[in-house]
Amino acid sequence: MVAVKLIPHLLSWAAILLLLLRGFPGRRPTVAAANISGFALGAAATLLLFGSFPGEFTFGIIRGAVGGSFLLLWGASVAAIYRGALRESRSWWGSRFLNAPLAAAGGALAAGMIAGGICASRLSGADGNSVAFLLLALAGAALAGCALAADKWLPKSFTVSPAGLMSAVVALLLFSASYMIRLDIFAPLTMKVMKFTHDFVHQFFESMLIPDHLFILPYLWDYIGLLFGKEVGFWGGLVIWFTPALLVILAIRFERLPSVAHIRQGAERRKLLAAAIRARRFLLLVPLIALVIFAVAVYRSRFPSVEYWDPKPVPVTASAAGEIFIPKSGEIDIEDGKLHKYLYKQGGKEARFFVLMTPEGELTVDLDACAICKPDGYGQAEGTVLCYYCNTLIPLETVGKPGGCNPVPIPFEAKEDGVHVDALTLINTWSSTIQSTSRVKEEGK
Amino acid sequence: MADATIQTSGLTRSYGDICALKPIDLQVPQGEWLSVMGHSGSGKSTLMNLVGGLDRPSSGSLRVGGEDLLALSEDGLARFRREYVGIIFQQHHLVPYLSAVENVMMAQYFHSVPDEAEARSALERVGLGHRLKNRPGELSGGEQQRVCIARAIINSPKLLLGDEPTGNLDHKSTVMVMELLKELRAEDRFTVVMVTHNQEVAAWGDRTIYLDDGVLVREERTGG
Repeated sequence: MVAVKLIPHLLSWAAILLLLLRGFPGRRPTVAAANISGFALGAAATLLLFGSFPGEFTFGIIRGAVGGSFLLLWGASVAAIYRGALRESRSWWGSRFLNAPLAAAGGALAAGMIAGGICASRLSGADGNSVAFLLLALAGAALAGCALAADKWLPKSFTVSPAGLMSAVVALLLFSASYMIRLDIFAPLTMKVMKFTHDFVHQFFESMLIPDHLFILPYLWDYIGLLFGKEVGFWGGLVIWFTPALLVILAIRFERLPSVAHIRQGAERRKLLAAAIRARRFLLLVPLIALVIFAVAVYRSRFPSVEYWDPKPVPVTASAAGEIFIPKSGEIDIEDGKLHKYLYKQGGKEARFFVLMTPEGELTVDLDACAICKPDGYGQAEGTVLCYYCNTLIPLETVGKPGGCNPVPIPFEAKEDGVHVDALTLINTWSSTIQSTSRVKEEGK
Repeated sequence: MADATIQTSGLTRSYGDICALKPIDLQVPQGEWLSVMGHSGSGKSTLMNLVGGLDRPSSGSLRVGGEDLLALSEDGLARFRREYVGIIFQQHHLVPYLSAVENVMMAQYFHSVPDEAEARSALERVGLGHRLKNRPGELSGGEQQRVCIARAIINSPKLLLGDEPTGNLDHKSTVMVMELLKELRAEDRFTVVMVTHNQEVAAWGDRTIYLDDGVLVREERTGG
């Protein structure tokens, strides 16, 4: 099972190694050594970090590194298209920098470290044991050998431009990260875009830039409503996600062909042009593949193969004193570290809440809703709970703390026999929370 | 002969039991115009096809322009034909629905990339500057053959092969085509191997070899 989980991550890393070997044909030994040692270093460092700081901290570092590589790709793609637009034939400082031995080795080392970190993250927790780590080392060594062999077997014409190399390497890192919901960056990206758009429109509304007129408003709100929808985050995220690879493709496609005007013989001149066009087509291959990998990463993020623990809420009642009692043991063991959902009904009102034992060993009682989203509830997977509405991941360590998209905490009393919750407080908190979130819903229609 | 364009040694070609070309030793220096004569079935076209990389020999050695044609792969042979050889056939093999200039550009396309200005210039060189947009059906036999010559020389071949290029032409057109070829050879310095039945056409070459039943029986200097 562990081996199956590691397959996409190890294959991604092997592909990265192969691409680096192709991208730096003059520095194969340096790049190979840097990337392989980076992988081992990244994996070891991640395991050490998980040992010292279990939980979100280590995931945050790796997610930050993956996100940083994506930002770097943005910079490189903009530089590539800018250079293409300038149509300068002279050597660009960026290409000189990328061809420097230190930059090549540094890039290969960084890519290897991130890939190794992602692989080791996959082994953290229940799957992490000495057999699994041995398996990781053996499979990694075998795949590195395969990448080195494939490099010798591939035709020399299969080369990679610096920007194309970067787009493919980053695409593979994002693809690898998309297999883990805590490392995936597409879902947080869509959430950020959605929140930014909502805030932006809200600010416009607040500052009266949206005209409040009887005739204009109804029509205008039809369009403003689109911006308040959930899908705006997805589509905006897609634009940000695919733009760098598309810019790299455009930069290569419109790169100026070499000047052949000085060659007297027509056939020789045309032969050189044909060779340059053929080389350009080969250079387009890698960023086009990167585009496909980006798309697969989006699919993985949108439809993760992770199964969320989402039990059906158990109906509970309150005592005559208005107290809801959840026993510690019985049919449900509330201290097993899993989310346990309950439904309380009073008159025409109802409230959904859950009880959870955090990794620190503390019980927490929270609404199955947050203060900002529609109350679609939460599911639990891979050391997090996920808000079904906005796909925000909440690390288990922070459940029970208020703010953002965290489940709204409910005051409770933990006794030896179980948990005691005041029914009136629960119903009131639920009602006020739902009221505030439904206002947003109404604004967005 | 170090600078020979064509060097053959014991070159043969058999089709089953039929031996179309018996061992031939031949050397053609760079820039020479060699005429190949013989009766039908004497092996002239077989020799030309072997030299042009259109066919593979059964045995012997064959070097053209320093390339060992027997050692070349199919891709290597295609590259050799594309970059080294220009061929003019008796049947013109022009694409009927393309104009003269487009027919020439097609040869450029298969070689590298098309360049219309260069194709126009090649047609002007063969005296067809006024017939650029005409299709083959709108050209005379002599004009069509001149389009073929433009098509054959457009990629600057080192070796020009002619398989009865004037076989379908009248005397006047034949002379015109041969004079054109002579001029072009003087300018571009390519080697010519021309298969012909016509003694008068053969006399345009520097040397003539005679084949009979696949055997090189005689050769003579013709003086061009």
